[in-house]
Amino acid sequence: MIPAAFAYHRPRTVQAAMRLLLTHGHDAKILAGGQSLLPMMKLRVATPAHLIDIGHVTSLRGIRLRQGRLRIGAMATHREIELSPAVRRAAPVLAETAAVIGDLQVRNLGTIGGALMHADPVADYPATVLALEAEFTLQGPSGVRTVPAAEFFLGPMTTAAGPDEIMTEIAVPAAPPMRGAAYLKMPNPASGFALAGVAAVIGLDQSGRCVHVRVGITGVASAAYRASGVEAALSWKEPNDEALERAAAAAADGVEANPDIHASAEYRIHLAGVLTRRALALARDRAMAVRRRGRAASRA
Amino acid sequence: MKIEGEHLLPATRDEVWAALNDPDVLVKTVPGLKQLNPTGEDAYEATIELAVGPVRGTYQGRARITDKTAPERMTLTVEGGGRPGTIRAAGALTLEGQGTETLVRYVGDVQVTGILMSVGHRLFGGVAKQLAGVFFKALEREVHQRAAAEPAL
Repeated sequence: MIPAAFAYHRPRTVQAAMRLLLTHGHDAKILAGGQSLLPMMKLRVATPAHLIDIGHVTSLRGIRLRQGRLRIGAMATHREIELSPAVRRAAPVLAETAAVIGDLQVRNLGTIGGALMHADPVADYPATVLALEAEFTLQGPSGVRTVPAAEFFLGPMTTAAGPDEIMTEIAVPAAPPMRGAAYLKMPNPASGFALAGVAAVIGLDQSGRCVHVRVGITGVASAAYRASGVEAALSWKEPNDEALERAAAAAADGVEANPDIHASAEYRIHLAGVLTRRALALARDRAMAVRRRGRAASRA
Repeated sequence: MKIEGEHLLPATRDEVWAALNDPDVLVKTVPGLKQLNPTGEDAYEATIELAVGPVRGTYQGRARITDKTAPERMTLTVEGGGRPGTIRAAGALTLEGQGTETLVRYVGDVQVTGILMSVGHRLFGGVAKQLAGVFFKALEREVHQRAAAEPAL
């Protein structure tokens, strides 16, 4: 349980981190919170010769809500996201997701940027950033670009980010009125990772119909995905229990579920359906509560 | 562990067969394949460099093609190893002509040992599928380019 020898670098700016990454290339690995990378290094599955610790790059910290967009520094920890007033106001489901990652030690050290770049297929955030239509800012040698969450997760631990890119920021559009969201998962009792996890966002119009439905699912396939069949089935419908149940049946449509020693493909597909129905119901109840509060306020 | 899948390629069966039997094409299309040196008839030595997340490895291996029936089917055996573990895989490729397109099916059995297996088991199926996807996409590009390069007869 002792990692192989490595050189340790501690840049203070993204530019300095970038230079180190370019100098050492394949032999280097960015260290964010280290809650996935360090265990792998201790098992010697990963043996980077150079570790570039971006924990002291202050520009990557901080969470701001500005002009209807939540901007989260890539080095914000899960615990900071869970407790952030800005996140709780603009995207409460992201705080809800952060609160169920790993255990408290992991949440105190692990970062959102690190988790997203690691792209474990059973991680929690991917479902939620897909449902929230988040955008990621990546900085590379040729400049800065933004990638929508929907184009980011390509496979197990495989993303659209190049080996020489650093994630600097996660942007989430703040929820407009009459929207509700929820993240639910069936955790592996030992690791807490999601056997299946579903994030659902529902927006209602004045008459109570769904004008906005987004569903992100993690843990089931080799990468998190948007359940577009579920979204289409609910669009412009009244979200009663029967409608949610019918829509949730499409949770794993066209998806190749991943079997492993923890759960079979069939079980994961079953979980996807059940959790989708429950997350949709919770998102709807929250959206309706917001709507009721809004009406009460306008009467007062 | 069993892996299987299929991919429809926009080329005739003969074209796909020729591409699959051309080491130059394979070096361009197999993810991470750096070198492919023939060591005999239908036998090769290969060097593969592959990174999945933080797991980066260089693997040396031997590949053999048996039961070859052009342009329909072949059996492929791959044995290799590197620092993170060893891999043995045997699989059958079948090509089915569908008009101007060709459906390639693969069915295989993969055995992995070492730390690669003990830690990576839950990722393996997904990684194999994803790499197969990358390979077929690259192969599709390659057969396209070949078709464009050759003047129509």
